[in-house]
Amino acid sequence: MTNSDQNTECFPTLAGLRLTDNHQILMNPTIPVTQETTKILNDISGKQSQIIRMNNNEFYFYQGEEEFLKTVPVLSQKGFVLISLFCVQDFEGNLDFTLFYVFRLNGFTDVFTFIRHVVAETTSIATIFPSACWYEREIRDGFGIEFTDAFDKRRLFLHEAYPENFHPLLKSFRNGKIQFVENPKEAYTFKQVDGEGVYQIPVGPVHAGIIEPGHFRFSVIGEPVFNLEIRLFYKHRGIEKLAEGKSPLECVSLAEAVSGDESAANAAGFCMAVEQICEIEVPVRAEYLRVVVLELERIYSLLGDLAGMAVDIGFALVASPFFILREEVLRQNDKLTGSRFLKGIMVPGGLKTDLPDKSLKRLPVFLKKFSHMFEQAFERAIASSSLIDRFATTGRIKRELISPLNLTGPLARASGSPADIRLDKPYGAYKNFAPKLSVRKKGDVLSRFEVKADEIRASVNLILRFLEKMPEGPICAEYDYDSGTQARGYSFALVEAPRGQNLHWVYLKNGVVDRYKVRTASFCNWQAIEHAVIGNIVPDFPLINKSLNLSYAGTDL
Amino acid sequence: MVNPLSFFLRPKVTETFEFRDEELEALGAEIKKEIPKVFGRSLAIRELDSGSDNSTEIEISNLGTPHYDVERFGISFVASPRHADVLLVTGAVTLNMVDAVKKTYEAMPFPKFVVAVGDDACDGGIYKDSYAVLGGVDKVLPVDMKIPGNPPSPKEILCGLFALVKNASQ
Repeated sequence: MTNSDQNTECFPTLAGLRLTDNHQILMNPTIPVTQETTKILNDISGKQSQIIRMNNNEFYFYQGEEEFLKTVPVLSQKGFVLISLFCVQDFEGNLDFTLFYVFRLNGFTDVFTFIRHVVAETTSIATIFPSACWYEREIRDGFGIEFTDAFDKRRLFLHEAYPENFHPLLKSFRNGKIQFVENPKEAYTFKQVDGEGVYQIPVGPVHAGIIEPGHFRFSVIGEPVFNLEIRLFYKHRGIEKLAEGKSPLECVSLAEAVSGDESAANAAGFCMAVEQICEIEVPVRAEYLRVVVLELERIYSLLGDLAGMAVDIGFALVASPFFILREEVLRQNDKLTGSRFLKGIMVPGGLKTDLPDKSLKRLPVFLKKFSHMFEQAFERAIASSSLIDRFATTGRIKRELISPLNLTGPLARASGSPADIRLDKPYGAYKNFAPKLSVRKKGDVLSRFEVKADEIRASVNLILRFLEKMPEGPICAEYDYDSGTQARGYSFALVEAPRGQNLHWVYLKNGVVDRYKVRTASFCNWQAIEHAVIGNIVPDFPLINKSLNLSYAGTDL
Repeated sequence: MVNPLSFFLRPKVTETFEFRDEELEALGAEIKKEIPKVFGRSLAIRELDSGSDNSTEIEISNLGTPHYDVERFGISFVASPRHADVLLVTGAVTLNMVDAVKKTYEAMPFPKFVVAVGDDACDGGIYKDSYAVLGGVDKVLPVDMKIPGNPPSPKEILCGLFALVKNASQ
């Protein structure tokens, strides 16, 4: 079968999206993306690359080393965004390392992965795709692969307590306790900024409030921040290594443990990846209920953001209604699923138990009361001139940062980029109903505040519409996990979590997870804060940090 | 220039919400009685995350929200370990955080108590077998009370604190 045959059959799919509302999908459906990509590849190398096509718009390309290095700059010119870069050992018979370079073109459904075989060291693409910098450091820590021309060779998630030449994700390392270095000699090198009047403020890892650990090093001249460098990964718990060897059912709770307030989204992502591998068809009622759960998570997470932003400017009067609403939503979560954080409800194939009918019937009533209170609280916030004064023009994130760093979620939408996985690559019941997109251009804290408030409203509307059309039926697909010991395969799942685009890649061998790669939106979005605070004063930093509300746990894994 | 007289004509901003929880109020009243016996007027708590997923932190911070509002019972969350009586630790201690945890504990003045909140702080929870984690908080610090749960709800945390305060007099 030649390449051209494959090209004619794989047109760009909008994944069965039915445009039921008058929302804007900013895509150009007339350009066949796959043809364009294969055209690029053919143009550069003249050879035809090997394409492995999967069922759900995932394309894996294997080119040789030379062709790959020629393709990368062209991809950058054409506007492809690097959404992940990870390493797998012993992939499909290749006993050495296989690097996966995952790209997407904004607005299009397809996910393109370029595979590269590596033995011990290779070259870096971080000068062309800046987000590759952190991924490469992560691979170096996990597997020991050297990127010879990388400009940043510091350790990422293994801090000084870990011994030299310790690479946990190698298959040769069996998971278990290790001897850690008591008094490490080498300190992490931060960028030094010298000059008259410049001084450094180190903050963290233990912070003054009830918040997760992370280190921030400011270089300030008086009050305005001149430079910020962050150092995270204090919460590295080794989730990817823990997942290896577990069955998919056992791994769901691990996916939930990645980040507590994105548990439903990560569990859904993991389950979707497994369902795609094992070709399990999820019943319609389960899809609808999953979306209700995901949107509830979005609501309580964003409410926490709004409340936190008000607290960080010292405005408790405005923060309290949002806290009250969030607590009410958490209690609703408990009534519906038995867990305030929606944990333990998703399984591969659907949901573990059905949501009680009585609570589902009361949900629309609750949501209507909620909307009323939310609007009042929002009005009170916006009516305050001191709030607007603190929020407007603070912590601006420019639009030019979005593609190179792969910024996603409300912070990207507040800076003018209309990307949303629920619209670009719809999954589950989002194929039938799409949420209303909210985009602002300025990219400051006020824009993020408004975008998050809009998203809460959109989520409430979405849940109400889903509840109206809720079908009856089974809530979990019949899948015999015992006979599934022959399950093998690999697949991506992209989910729109409250903070942005979460990526899950699962590789099953003989029914157990051989490699689980999860990359939450926070991993990419954290790099934006270094740009957002420049020029702002130090007291505005907690506000900017809370307006982004990124997950430390989701980054550190 | 705002007309000060308009303040009288504005709608009032205080409102009552119907979420009075009798059990919580009773528990709170008991705590308020117990705290002065050992802790002077108030219990100062420092929270420390040594490697959890964020949910336990959210539940602890929910203790300060209007539904629970533990400040009226005499419990306050402080910014520095030097002001604290109790260290509330969440998360299985990751290797990257061992130093920070030890330093925070040493910065607290005596008498001090350590409470491990959440399954992962009690015994490592789901991260028990990981290379990156020491296991529960008791591997580094002397723990006085463990509050299990994934995550424990704010009421459960409050019950645990009450038990700690009650036993503190011994």
